Amino acid sequence: MNQIIQSLRRASIDWRMVLMATVLVVIAITFNAMSNGIFLSPENLYNVAQQTAVVGILATVMVLIIVARNIDLSVGSVLGFIGVLIATLMYSYNWSWSTAALAGLAAAIAVAMYQGYLTAVIGVPSFVVTLGGLMSFRGAAFLVADGRTQPITNEFFLRLGGGYEGAIGTTASWVLGALMCAALVAWKASQRRARQAYGVPTNALWLDCLMTAVPLVIVISFVAAMNAYHIPNKAAPQGIPIPVLIWIAVALFVSFLVHRTRFGRYVFAMGGNPDAAALVGIPVRRVMLLLFCLLALLTTIAAIVSIARLNAGTNSLGTNMELLVIAATVIGGTALAGGSGSILGSVLGALIMQSIDSGMLLLDVPIGWRYVIIGQVLIAAVVFDVVYRKWTGEMQ
Amino acid sequence: MSATLSPAGAPTRGKPDPSRCLVELRNIRKAFGGIHAVDDVSLNLYPGEVVALLGHNGAGKSTLMKMLAGAYPIDSGEVIIDGKQAQVRAPADAQRLGIESIYQTLALADNLDAVANLFLGRELLTRWRTLDDHRMDAEARKVFQRLNKNFTNVQTPVRRLSGGQRQVVAISRAIYFNARILIMDEPTAALGPEETAMVGNLIRQLKNDGVGIFLISHDMYDVFALSDRLAVMKNGQMVGTYQTRDVTEDEVLGMIIAGKQPAGKTEAPRPALSGAQTMARA
Repeated sequence: MNQIIQSLRRASIDWRMVLMATVLVVIAITFNAMSNGIFLSPENLYNVAQQTAVVGILATVMVLIIVARNIDLSVGSVLGFIGVLIATLMYSYNWSWSTAALAGLAAAIAVAMYQGYLTAVIGVPSFVVTLGGLMSFRGAAFLVADGRTQPITNEFFLRLGGGYEGAIGTTASWVLGALMCAALVAWKASQRRARQAYGVPTNALWLDCLMTAVPLVIVISFVAAMNAYHIPNKAAPQGIPIPVLIWIAVALFVSFLVHRTRFGRYVFAMGGNPDAAALVGIPVRRVMLLLFCLLALLTTIAAIVSIARLNAGTNSLGTNMELLVIAATVIGGTALAGGSGSILGSVLGALIMQSIDSGMLLLDVPIGWRYVIIGQVLIAAVVFDVVYRKWTGEMQ
Repeated sequence: MSATLSPAGAPTRGKPDPSRCLVELRNIRKAFGGIHAVDDVSLNLYPGEVVALLGHNGAGKSTLMKMLAGAYPIDSGEVIIDGKQAQVRAPADAQRLGIESIYQTLALADNLDAVANLFLGRELLTRWRTLDDHRMDAEARKVFQRLNKNFTNVQTPVRRLSGGQRQVVAISRAIYFNARILIMDEPTAALGPEETAMVGNLIRQLKNDGVGIFLISHDMYDVFALSDRLAVMKNGQMVGTYQTRDVTEDEVLGMIIAGKQPAGKTEAPRPALSGAQTMARA
């Protein structure tokens, strides 16, 4: 027993993530009981996953922005602007979806460079720059199409938003799930081998197996749940919705940047101690501008998913989205003071928030109460964060 | 010591000629707004020499050293390294020239672990240009082990380490990358007696390897125990540079406080050559 505790203590387990995952499970089970089994039905899980995707995609990059001691209040408005722009180019100017998407990306990068230049080079606080952006780009979203709704008809493009045709089917889902499982096992094994090769102490074998098994079970049950959702008048079950797939890919990509590249490490170093980062020779401004470019890329992806989901670009697209994204990031354990946060946390944070919202919807909680409760959940998350950091000695 | 540590990623350097000037700062000036933080200061450093830099807070010692380390741009004046004019515009330039700094604040990213801090800005990469964590981990453990046998918690964020352990991380950075020129800004200010002794031993070891060291310190005991020459600054100007063994503590205090040169003592614009060298020259 003592040995087990010892190994657990030595292993680099993120207890905060474990706790957050537990909270998510408890929320799901509670709502499931209260809604007589509707919450954990494949249909509801499918919808929750699909609804969370846009916020989830943006939350991954918001983690990095906040870690680097900045904030972006303009994501919702920029998302609206880019979304309407792409929809307008497709509908009113007959551009193909790919050229329209590239034009959207170019516009997003221009916006990011403008805001990034003011923040990183001139040194204006990003709070102010993006507060201005919050208003200006909402206005720009209106100006692009003169406030008119721009419908989207391209069938391939619509599938990116999920919905009726927007899933990859059961076979592809299983194949993808299996590939992910195989990759996970291979990765864990190679990590263990590399540690041994360099003489770095490894975890106990049972612990590494357990730490591999848990994500495997999650992946398999996720695929099973998505494959169990069968829309009544369709021939085959749905499988993984495309927006969720995009979210997973984005989360993996950003995690890769964080853990495996200099860029990710520099973002964290700049958040932990900006002076030190400059003194050791990190190109602080360039890293910051790159981060804004990443934000532009992911905002474009999120905009595409949103207009495809809505079947249209409207000037109100993404209104208040910044609040949800920041809330998901903070609930996911990212400190607003900068320097700490995780991509997995943002995924859990987005899921926790969406689960609470959608659970309350199932229980017919009135909209006023839903807002009241979600707001307090955010505060509870921050209170927990403060207490936790004091307890671990990160904060005095 | 640096030779035995010579790791895969760091440059290897031979032992330098002790009679050739390593660093020469000529007529350096720096103003912040209207204030002359450093005003026409010249100073040099030879291989294997420790030059202590003294003065009140705000005398300009840290500013001068930060210019050498590339952290502040130089307004005017020349930096000559190995007899060649050098452009030090950014910390990366200084690092390329073999200049490493240990700052009073240690310049550590508190949220990252010791390994990440050791390699910060100069990470070891795999051939896919991704971070080679395992190699960095293994290399870092070797360096830390040399400085402190008990230092094993290399994967906890450095904010949770003790002052001495944090200092080990900061010093390792200079050692691992084989500094030729080392700037130490109050290296023992936050340390206990045992760790202070460790830093002292390390300075002697590095001296033996031919590393030139600028030591900023308020601690007279350290200055007299470790330095070969000392330079005193006041209000951004150089008061004088002397052989440490030629002056007394009182005279040094007089220079720091009143800014006046001690009577009857000759300045030492370059280190005294050791007996053997003088013979060879004669």
